[in-house]
Amino acid sequence: MLLAWGGLMLRFWLTGRINILLHPDYVWLAITAGFALLGLGVAKLWEALRLARRGIAITQPSESHANLLPPGWSSALLLAIALFGLQFTPRAFASQVAIERGVADTLTLTRSQPQSFRTNTRPEDRSLIDWVRLLNVYPEPDAYTGQKASVEGFVIHSPNLPSNYFTITRFVITCCAADVYPVGLPVRIKGDRTAYEQDQWLRVDGDMATETLDGQRQLVIQATSLTPIEEPQNPYDY
Amino acid sequence: MDRLNNALTLFFSLLVEAMPFLLLGVLFSSVLLLFVDERRLIAAVPKHPLLAAMIGGGIGFLFPVCECGNVPVARRLIVQGAPASMAVGFLLAAPTVNPVVFWATWIAFRDQPEIVFLRVGLSLVVAVIVGWVFSAQADLRPLMQPGVARAMPAVRGAATKPSGESSLLQSGTYWLGQADQPIRPDGSLSSSAIAINPVLTKPLSDKLWLLVNNIVQEMRELGGVLILGTAIAAIVQVFVPREWVIGLGQGPVTSILAMMLLAWIVSICSTVDSFFALSFASTFTSGALLAFLVFGPMIDLKNIALLLSMFRGRAIAYLFILAGQLTFLFCLLINLYIS
Repeated sequence: MLLAWGGLMLRFWLTGRINILLHPDYVWLAITAGFALLGLGVAKLWEALRLARRGIAITQPSESHANLLPPGWSSALLLAIALFGLQFTPRAFASQVAIERGVADTLTLTRSQPQSFRTNTRPEDRSLIDWVRLLNVYPEPDAYTGQKASVEGFVIHSPNLPSNYFTITRFVITCCAADVYPVGLPVRIKGDRTAYEQDQWLRVDGDMATETLDGQRQLVIQATSLTPIEEPQNPYDY
Repeated sequence: MDRLNNALTLFFSLLVEAMPFLLLGVLFSSVLLLFVDERRLIAAVPKHPLLAAMIGGGIGFLFPVCECGNVPVARRLIVQGAPASMAVGFLLAAPTVNPVVFWATWIAFRDQPEIVFLRVGLSLVVAVIVGWVFSAQADLRPLMQPGVARAMPAVRGAATKPSGESSLLQSGTYWLGQADQPIRPDGSLSSSAIAINPVLTKPLSDKLWLLVNNIVQEMRELGGVLILGTAIAAIVQVFVPREWVIGLGQGPVTSILAMMLLAWIVSICSTVDSFFALSFASTFTSGALLAFLVFGPMIDLKNIALLLSMFRGRAIAYLFILAGQLTFLFCLLINLYIS
């Protein structure tokens, strides 16, 4: 059981899938725990072998902690989940989760307080998250009109936007996948948004403009070029 | 299919994040079990019940155990003569007021540091108040399980009584309203098996093996609970309609009650429950998150079985009601006036 869990944690790490599960600051915790579990597993195995060689039956410690589950069930559950986890490939969240978690409200508040505020950043160097944070701090769309934008993210067809708009979106993670939340900006394109599938990753270059969408004045990106890109190794931003 | 994959991704994400902290908590509580002698600690506790309750709550920082480790420790504290206020203060505060839990909560709620500090502060306040209330009962024995009661030393207050009585019939032997059985204080002589932590006298290599075995055993038991709790969190997040959860989570009163009930049911360990709460962070009020984080470690479904090894049902009901009311009250104040 311990070996399986140690193996599971290390496998997520070695296949790079851990980026989908955790904020990178905490990956080392999972890796350390993986090694510790492996170590414990090896120690127990060694003990069992040693006892078996001497012909002593393995006895459970007598003082047991009362618990919700009988110990046997708990071990079985742990083992089953670990074995299942070894087969399972986690996938990054996509448009469905984004819409459910409220990217449709367009400018979702970012929960992170911006740690550094760089006013001298060139507009085209700002990431999607930088833009949304900037708008949170100074929510006046007109102030940014005409600035250049170049952001990466995936496409969401927000139901409350006209058909020549989609939302370019990214998830922000602070701890683990349980708390990822989407941020996005509307993008105006020529033609219909069905040319770009939901969940497709794009780099959007364009200029900022102010529009009234869904009864709200807000910043939109007027796209000049749209380049399909690969889904990044680490799909979240921070 | 997408939903299932999302739920599983969420599930494994929570598990992978929580596992290191569970391991750390288990490691600490096992080390504690094997290497610390509580008797020296008790000798240094102040007499005043409020101070004792504060000390009891504060020593969680020396004894970083989650709620599965704190009951055996509290039991040993009581048996070795710790005042009631200290033992109860420790019992309620230790699972939350300790460095491992503080760190885990910090990692989960980095963006809302107020949650971290309010969690620790509120837990301490509730634990101290309940501990203080319990000190009104000068002798805890009627509230304890017979085995523990027998093992307890004579009450401090009783020792100062005028010594006109027979030395064979000590004060506090019979209790009004407790006619079912007389309590026999002479039991304390035969109870050395509980009174002294038997492991402390063993050689180091044996201790290390016991340490490994204890860690593995606790991982085995708590891991199962962690998996169940995580599965509930993942299912609620992905499959329960969001409007429904938000509706429940936004009311200042309903959100607190819902999260307290959830805390009671999922019985997740305090070292990892902040990750569980995190998945509700965007939909529930801060007061409700705090109610979950403060109340859960004190009393939950799993914990009651443990507490029954120490207290009688009546005392557990007192603990449950007192801690629940205080948590609810404070969290409601936070919902109404702070956030």
